[in-house]
Amino acid sequence: MKSLKNRTSLLLLPSMLFLLLPLYGMVAAIHQSFSVNNQWTLQNYIQLLESERFVASTIFSLKTSLAATLISLVIGLLLTRYFYTFLERNTPRLMVWLPMLFPHFVWGYMVILVLSETGVVSQMLQAAGWISSSSEFPVWTRDSQGIGIIITYVWKEVPFVILMLLPVYSSIKSEYHDLVKTLGGNRWHRFKTVEWPHILPVFIETFLIVFSFTLAAYEVPALLGTTFPEMLSVLSYDWFYGSSWDDRPLAFAAMVLLSLGVILLTAAAYLFLNKKRWKAMRGRST
Amino acid sequence: MTLTLEVNQLKKQFHDKSILYDLSFELHKGEILSIVGPSGSGKTTLLRILAGLEAPTDGSIVMQGKNITDKKANKRNVSLVFQQPLLFPHMTVKENIRYGAKIAKKDLKKTDQLLKSIGLELYADHYPSELSGGQKQRVALARAMATEPDVILFDEPFSSLDPKLRQEMRYWVRQFLVERSITSIFVTHDIDEAMIMGDRIALFHEGTFQQIDRLSTLHEAPANAFVARFLGGHLVIDSDHYAPLSSCYLSASDAGEDPRTFEAAVQQVTYQNGQAIGHIYVDELNEKVSLPIKHFNHNDRIKLYIAKSMIRRFGGSHL
Amino acid sequence: MSTKKTTFLLLASVLFIAPALILVLQSLSKTWRFQAGEGFTFSLNSYQTLLSDPNLWTATFWSFTVGSGVLIVNLIIGILTGKALAILSFKGKSWVEVLLLTPILIPVLATAMGLHLFMIRAGLADTAAGVMLIHLVPTIPYSIKIFHNSYNQMGRLMLEQPAILGASPVRQLFTVELPLMKPAVRSVTFLTIVISLSQYAITAIIGGGRIITLPMVFYPFLDTANASIMAAFSVWFAALPLLMYVMVELLMRFLPYSQTLRRNRT
Repeated sequence: MKSLKNRTSLLLLPSMLFLLLPLYGMVAAIHQSFSVNNQWTLQNYIQLLESERFVASTIFSLKTSLAATLISLVIGLLLTRYFYTFLERNTPRLMVWLPMLFPHFVWGYMVILVLSETGVVSQMLQAAGWISSSSEFPVWTRDSQGIGIIITYVWKEVPFVILMLLPVYSSIKSEYHDLVKTLGGNRWHRFKTVEWPHILPVFIETFLIVFSFTLAAYEVPALLGTTFPEMLSVLSYDWFYGSSWDDRPLAFAAMVLLSLGVILLTAAAYLFLNKKRWKAMRGRST
Repeated sequence: MTLTLEVNQLKKQFHDKSILYDLSFELHKGEILSIVGPSGSGKTTLLRILAGLEAPTDGSIVMQGKNITDKKANKRNVSLVFQQPLLFPHMTVKENIRYGAKIAKKDLKKTDQLLKSIGLELYADHYPSELSGGQKQRVALARAMATEPDVILFDEPFSSLDPKLRQEMRYWVRQFLVERSITSIFVTHDIDEAMIMGDRIALFHEGTFQQIDRLSTLHEAPANAFVARFLGGHLVIDSDHYAPLSSCYLSASDAGEDPRTFEAAVQQVTYQNGQAIGHIYVDELNEKVSLPIKHFNHNDRIKLYIAKSMIRRFGGSHL
Repeated sequence: MSTKKTTFLLLASVLFIAPALILVLQSLSKTWRFQAGEGFTFSLNSYQTLLSDPNLWTATFWSFTVGSGVLIVNLIIGILTGKALAILSFKGKSWVEVLLLTPILIPVLATAMGLHLFMIRAGLADTAAGVMLIHLVPTIPYSIKIFHNSYNQMGRLMLEQPAILGASPVRQLFTVELPLMKPAVRSVTFLTIVISLSQYAITAIIGGGRIITLPMVFYPFLDTANASIMAAFSVWFAALPLLMYVMVELLMRFLPYSQTLRRNRT
């Protein structure tokens, strides 16, 4: 028993080695965030928290990314819920997943092409005479509200949300629905008692993936954002790569705080899920 | 004559739970052993250990005189047929059957004969998804056979088939194995199936064999109360004594002089092979037995009479 | 039922097909100015301009090289780990699964910044190998997930069957596991390449401007090129995953038992 199991555990070795990469990166980032001229110090964090630019950027990042994540999840959930029987077929599924073929920033460019003040939609409205010049078209890209960033992310993440939720929806046995129907449940009851418990773990996992990605990715905000307020990733990248090397520790400190937030959120989510699972198990055994 | 399989003092512990303990038996060439016991009692674990899918905690397995206890599954000359046919869906019937034979570098003509003998020649180039349940299970058997293993293990191979087909398959497989004198072990929870399939029957309970014998010996001399109860042909009187049901009577006159008497109740009457069978609960012993019955209906109170001379002590060829 | 179907087709067309179509159409036309009546005018100028830029070809070469390397490592680690997770049961397994997901939760930017000094010391900064390594971080967790699911679907019993019939682990991989996991291999190919192509910041940090991949060229283009050329560039981005897909598909033809299905129904 022992020897067989040990040999199989060797299969895990490469992925454990791989984990050293982000682990080392994280430890090194933490180390550098606490040091100035090789001296241990809290100075970087103090400077960071006193920086108006950082605070504004944090608030902007959280707002933008939370909005993008929640909208993507809701749209993705609705589409999956209403159309999962179609989506199990190949062609409709490929239609939905088409945006996944493009990198995020390419999709961002598409948003500019279509929705900017001189974009396709604006041009068509002008041609139709609904607006007289491009200045009448609302500013949806490179705007200070993060609208362009949100639109791009939502457009790109909805297919991803469907990708994550579809297998779960396909695996819900229709008998459950019939059961709730025979017990007199309406559509909302069916969602709450049958679907929601099934999809909750994947839903939370998808939330974490999309939220942490949109919160910290550089590419789309670099393309569709403004200089103030800017997303944390853009700010940190500037500090890391900017004109003076003095700001590098700030970039590390910002990234460490961001990572810490994501880790805490993940831990909380999984503790919550485990507790739920544990409750369900206990309920079964009594 | 060397034994095909010798299992000595096999033990298996999982965490703190003992699943197999002090299990020993041997098989001669061409012998079929049925292992029967309640579901979830560890029979499957025994087969998995014999196949090399799990390692025992202690004990040894000797095949054709060689100790194979530490060999991995792919190095053992053992085949295992599962409950589900588990055919490779991306291979045709023919490719499935040839899979193991190719690895073992066996003569592929023989596999074609196997295909013929399971009656599926016409399906050689079909994919498993095009076959019925019984056909799939036959292909699984042929695939296991094609490697010409020293022993074939069967883990409830018919339990996913419907009852009529199951009965047909039992006779077919039994004949198939006997004709080719293939040594095999047949695990089931169904005593009827065990009786049809095995030359000898091993009763498995609480991690070990309670008794391993020919069918007739099992019935004539059960080793202990568990065996007697499991076979259902005896009334267990206490942990040492039993009486064959054939010597339990419903009237005092049939049982001879000075019989022992037990109070009982008829719980239900059913019919088997045209005969009324009473399912009787013996209050005093807290035992249930089934006897042919004529004049009684359910809920009737009755008395069971057993001649004292017919009461025996447990103990056959106990392992 | 059919109104539902129409709704779906309409939604999918507007939301998912139309954007891609617009990119393709704009790339095949002179830059649109609908308000001035200048609509679709067929022209391949954009592709001519794009493909005559030597930077594009260098970048395509590097993106392809980095992508292929990342894909190979992803397949290896994904398959090994996916199999281990599917057949092993041990205490704390659910936490190991979370741990394997964390690389995509923690900002990749943080990882790349943290690894920057190490890469310099190890001589990996400014090299394709270093860029491949950092591209593993946002891709491997997905590949592990995909293969884990795939192995789970196959089931433990199916995975034991070849061993019982005498197959070695390697033979089992090529004759049974890979042929049954073709859809997973396809998904991993797509995801890995697209994610690798999507990395600007971490490629810039580790590649140090020496390893020029496609995104490194795309951003500067934005300032100079017109919409038609940018659209052509966008389409070019989708071509690479498709190319890789075709290559992987061709390679998978060489797997045993992979001939096109012979149908024998009469």
